[in-house]
Amino acid sequence: MLAEIGVTTTFLAFVAALYALGASLWGARTRSEGTVLSARNAVFLAFALLLTACVVLMIALVREDYQISYVWSVSNPSMPLFFRITALWGSQAGSLLFWSFLLSAFAAGAVWLNWHNNRRLMPYVIAYTMATLAFFLFLSIFIENPFNRYWFVGTETLETALIPAGGVAPGDALLRDSANGLNPLLRHFGMAIHPPMLYLGFVGFLVPFAFAMAALASGDLSTNWIRASRRWALAAWLFLSLGLILGGRWAYDVLGWGGYWGWDPVENAAFLPWLMGTAFLHSVMIQEKRGMLKTWNMFLVIGTFSAVIFGTFATRSGLVESVHSFARSEIGFPMFAFWFGMTIVSVWLILWRRNRGELRDEHAFANIFSRESLFVLNNLVFGALFIAIFWGSFGAPIVSELFLNSNITLGTEYFQRVTPPLFAALFILMGIAPLSAWGATSLRRLGMSALVPLILAVASLIVFALMGMAEPIALIGYGIICFSGWVAIYETYRALMARVRQHGENPLQAFFALLQRNPRRYGGYLIHLGVTVIGLGALGSTLFQQETQQTMSVGQSMEIAGYTIRYDGFAPNQVAEDGRIMDIATLTVLRDGQELQTLRPRRDFFPNVEGMNSMTIAASRSTLQDDVYTILVDWEQTPSAQAATFKVYINPLVNLIWWGGFVLIAGTLAATWSGDTLPARSRKSLMVGATA
Amino acid sequence: MAEITWEKRQVTTERRGVSADRWKFVVGGVLMLAAVVYLIVAGTGAGARYFITIDDLLSNPEYIGQTVRITGAVDGDTIVYDAQNLIIDFTVANMPDSVEDLAVALHDAVNDPSASRLQVHIENQVKPDLLQHEAQAILTGTLGTDGTFHATELLLKCPSRYEESVPAQVEEGV
Repeated sequence: MLAEIGVTTTFLAFVAALYALGASLWGARTRSEGTVLSARNAVFLAFALLLTACVVLMIALVREDYQISYVWSVSNPSMPLFFRITALWGSQAGSLLFWSFLLSAFAAGAVWLNWHNNRRLMPYVIAYTMATLAFFLFLSIFIENPFNRYWFVGTETLETALIPAGGVAPGDALLRDSANGLNPLLRHFGMAIHPPMLYLGFVGFLVPFAFAMAALASGDLSTNWIRASRRWALAAWLFLSLGLILGGRWAYDVLGWGGYWGWDPVENAAFLPWLMGTAFLHSVMIQEKRGMLKTWNMFLVIGTFSAVIFGTFATRSGLVESVHSFARSEIGFPMFAFWFGMTIVSVWLILWRRNRGELRDEHAFANIFSRESLFVLNNLVFGALFIAIFWGSFGAPIVSELFLNSNITLGTEYFQRVTPPLFAALFILMGIAPLSAWGATSLRRLGMSALVPLILAVASLIVFALMGMAEPIALIGYGIICFSGWVAIYETYRALMARVRQHGENPLQAFFALLQRNPRRYGGYLIHLGVTVIGLGALGSTLFQQETQQTMSVGQSMEIAGYTIRYDGFAPNQVAEDGRIMDIATLTVLRDGQELQTLRPRRDFFPNVEGMNSMTIAASRSTLQDDVYTILVDWEQTPSAQAATFKVYINPLVNLIWWGGFVLIAGTLAATWSGDTLPARSRKSLMVGATA
Repeated sequence: MAEITWEKRQVTTERRGVSADRWKFVVGGVLMLAAVVYLIVAGTGAGARYFITIDDLLSNPEYIGQTVRITGAVDGDTIVYDAQNLIIDFTVANMPDSVEDLAVALHDAVNDPSASRLQVHIENQVKPDLLQHEAQAILTGTLGTDGTFHATELLLKCPSRYEESVPAQVEEGV
């Protein structure tokens, strides 16, 4: 029964999306208010239906309805409730349905919140979002249906199908006993929330894209589309950032190689929309403030959306070899066709409006050190990073296969060589650009504003050098990163002290007042500070990682980076609640003879899982200074395991990455929260217009 | 109405002197483009690896000593793991260039006695959980004159991780 409800609601949502697409375009063409209103209602209906479909699949997972092949493949009787629920996005078919649901929720939210203020854009926003939704639902219904069930067709063969003619359902017990269970690697808190975050980020960028295209299609090329979609873009960016950070955290905790980012094509596919989206968020400010870069912004928003769709296509179609890649799936070609079609239509719209002279900029670039010029430079560096990473992950393998009749892939050496100078350029710009003024800035004035942060950066370097850091590359890297961080801190401090002096507020009050008065500027500084902290962590853990491995008998110790790690004992065959069998070693971390922490690295074995059924779980002692990251490699097969082998990594500053993530969240929330969605200039002129 | 007033007002601030600094932007842009192109070309030269099959590797002596990327099916019986020194040795069987069903291709490759095989040697590598019978190994390294592939990077894929298949035990039970 659950499968039937799921199939019906998904199909009806597909019909509603198609109807909304047709009705919105027809309503816009014939200027029929009633038809557009009907399209709007279909958007809400599609959301309600997909919410039902997702809830139904979740109920099937919780109630262990193994007749549904998706439930069979991602859960089993021993799985706890939490992972049973998160198994909704544990594999391709479920994650596609979940993706469609999120998409419908964003579309419904955007239409609901903007219905009165941006009526002219609405029909086309509906059309673009619903075209995308209809496409994803097409994939869900016809290619990767999560509600397919197992059937005996004829006498012998077991098939997955919706409802085959003459099919007989197999017995519950048979399916229950053989159910697969969620891939052990995915049974981690980070992995449970990392995919929804990424999906929210991916899907969220659909809203600014739809608004931009609606602006082009409707001819309302004012900044309305930017103001209407700004918060959506920021929210999408935040979710995507969180998705990337959580993915890194998951890899760090679960994959047991002491790292968090491997330049794998799938990781890069999620990073590409982030790069383009970040460029867009910066560049769009120039259009709001100065009426410039109108065409460029359109291309950036298309680029971000294209990167989302291309990334989804590339990672789910088997296009590239990746440790993460989903199985080769039939969805590859339709996704490519959809991506290509959407991009062509969107680019054509831009060129059409541009040829009509409707995307002409209101100012020209006058000064190379003006804020808008530096923002453009920032855009170009983001663009260069995008191209470099795209080329390394997808471009080179595809081009070599198509034109050179060979298959060339680019290893991590490529990324390690190409990306650092570009990241350095980004950090420099992140420091300088906020110090310059709109319109024009002289080099002298810029230099004066940068003086204090530069002195602070040099002072930080002296402290680092006194602490023993001698590598020139590291000092240059830290110098650049610290400079951008000090700019954010110093500029905020200056404004804060001015408020304290003028209004007699205490610093905390003044800080919140600043955030409220100019959320973009000071929220932005907070985000920059978060990125600085992440940068410090990434640089430290990359350049100064140490590792060692050793076999120890119980009571023996090993030394690394001033730590002593003592092997205290072994507990084999511990059975956990979910049925996994754990072999656990106990280590004690000491420094200068003082015990700091007990660690329990272990190996888990999943007796009911087919294929990969064991998992190495690292244990680490985390401080801001470094992580002592330990892995149980092997042990003597006796009950007490007198000897065991361990691999130990020292990852300096790695925790700054996660802490920087929190600062970044706070900054983005601050930049989004205030009601100030209009820039000062347009508020003022609106008032002038209204009184005139 | 208010919007329109504002939009029109801004258009009047036409482009003054179409920027005397224009050449600076052009020179800056060209320099930046050149730097990025150089970075990407140099990086491509340093990071490029031919991704070839085991058959290709074994039949072309020019690949000996050159860093390449290969893919093969892991024969689980051959895995020897020296945990104390973190050294892994195993054999991979040749897989065809493109496959329809990865699980079937891996199974066929391992069980085909005529498929070419390659001995793999990796040092300083904790045995990954995924290194098991009929997993797909993607290896970066060099073929030595001794006929052994000395790998520096090992990626593994197990098709059962993501693919939904028909329950095997159920089929057997029919």
